Amino acid sequence: MAPPEAPRRARLELLVRRDGADDGFEVREIGSALAFIRSRPQRVPEDSFELAEVASRVDGQRSFILKNTATDRFLLITEPERFLWEQMNGTRSLQEIATAYVLKYGEFDFDVIPHLIRKLQRAQLLTVTPTSRLRKALARHRRQPVAKMAESALTVLERVNISSRNVQDGFRLAYRFGGFLLFTPAAVVLCAVLAVFGLVAGVRLWPDAERVVSGFGRSPLMAVLSVKLLFLVTVAAHQIVHGLALVHYGRRVREFGFTFLHGFVPTFYVDVTDIFMGSRRARVVTAVSGALVHLVLGSVWLLIALRATPGSFLQAFAAASGMIQWQAFVVALYPFCFIEMDGYHVLVDVLGIPTLKQDAMHHVATMLRGAAGPRFTRQEALYVGYVAVSAVSVAAFIAFNVWMIIHAS
Amino acid sequence: MRLFRNVDDTDLATFARSLREQPLRRGQVLFREGDLGDEMFLVRAGSIVVSKGVTGRVEQVLARMGPGDFFGEMALFDRSARSATIQADTDVTLLLLDRDALARLTADSPRAAAAFFQSLVHVFIERLRASGELVAEVTRWGLEATGLDVESR
Repeated sequence: MAPPEAPRRARLELLVRRDGADDGFEVREIGSALAFIRSRPQRVPEDSFELAEVASRVDGQRSFILKNTATDRFLLITEPERFLWEQMNGTRSLQEIATAYVLKYGEFDFDVIPHLIRKLQRAQLLTVTPTSRLRKALARHRRQPVAKMAESALTVLERVNISSRNVQDGFRLAYRFGGFLLFTPAAVVLCAVLAVFGLVAGVRLWPDAERVVSGFGRSPLMAVLSVKLLFLVTVAAHQIVHGLALVHYGRRVREFGFTFLHGFVPTFYVDVTDIFMGSRRARVVTAVSGALVHLVLGSVWLLIALRATPGSFLQAFAAASGMIQWQAFVVALYPFCFIEMDGYHVLVDVLGIPTLKQDAMHHVATMLRGAAGPRFTRQEALYVGYVAVSAVSVAAFIAFNVWMIIHAS
Repeated sequence: MRLFRNVDDTDLATFARSLREQPLRRGQVLFREGDLGDEMFLVRAGSIVVSKGVTGRVEQVLARMGPGDFFGEMALFDRSARSATIQADTDVTLLLLDRDALARLTADSPRAAAAFFQSLVHVFIERLRASGELVAEVTRWGLEATGLDVESR
């Protein structure tokens, strides 16, 4: 007998009127599932609950009693539930909380989250706010034309998503017909050799940088933009290698596609969440392997630049492509840049702090408001260090790119 | 048009004379919730969206209507303010029937008017059922979006 079909999720059609326009509107269809995962559960204020630990003398397991001091209702929660409760501070979406849960416990039993939410709602310990912080901020400043334009552009771009969930067979085939070679010791050696040669090529080109970029001729800015466009294609290769790594470790690629990250960064993506069920080594290899695509391509481009006719367009194009690929390699693996890229995931995995960025930002914001104590614990020092290093790194990255563009012009 | 399916050809010609054509360009609002009015509209071509304000610039879509559908009849009968906003989803051609024209029609051709009102009642029943479905869908959406467990409360 066929299993009963899951009930269809409810959908709402909402009409959003364009600000200031008398006769402009758009209709958005919003599924309840999307609203649920984007909602940001907010626990009651600190003075409205108490949390006490209960250690079992039989099996040594820790559990907790959560009390709503306003209603005198008690809840018995487990250690993972306490972790989830701590995440529910109104700043993290359920999607982010689920990711933190998987990283912390390596479990994919997401039922625990709606189950806990129901318990907390029954005990009146939780409210759910379905809003995005960025969109909220833009909405607040909608009277400013720039914010209004940014909001409209984000709305359009956020909807661009070309993806498929039926990609596992494709990745499996690609792995069988050559992809497996990327995960052999020979590939690692080749990668290291190329990196060394690429680095040497880069160092040898550097003194002649001005002559190299002069190969772009009269329109250096257009040339740099075309280099960036070509780079976008290689981002697809980066994601494909992540997918191949999943197949290598016997896990499933759930989705592959193209979208605008945060509404404005065009990017390809692959859903690698299944790797959380694998070992730490598998997670690290999956994270690093994608970034190595940029290392290899960057080195190849720099070698081409070195061999090309000095001052030619090919040399300039290859050198710029090599530079941008190396930059992408560093950015992907460098964990201190406020962006949750491959290196960041490796770092939080190693540290065992899945919500490092969110916790660090929250702590520093509290500090700047003068609400934090004068002494740091080890964890608080880590938070401050993360924010400080990330801020300096981002500033340096922007300065370097501005310098490069000015130099190229 | 389903509203005139029980009206014979002679009476239909009388009806047609009472209707005025009104174009609406894509995106244009015909009337807003709370406006006053004393006419109903029939969609001759194109598609319109019926919405009701929820918060700020956000409104809930209650229905979409295409050729043969009609709206605005509530204000025609009870003289109350418009209960929803109507805007054109595409370029639209509407036919307008105002209160005076309907009164004249009822006086001149009671049989045609009776057929017209009977069709109107059938559509009202359908809309009442659709409203019930919409309320249930919206309630289900709210429960699913918040994860609220009502069964064991």
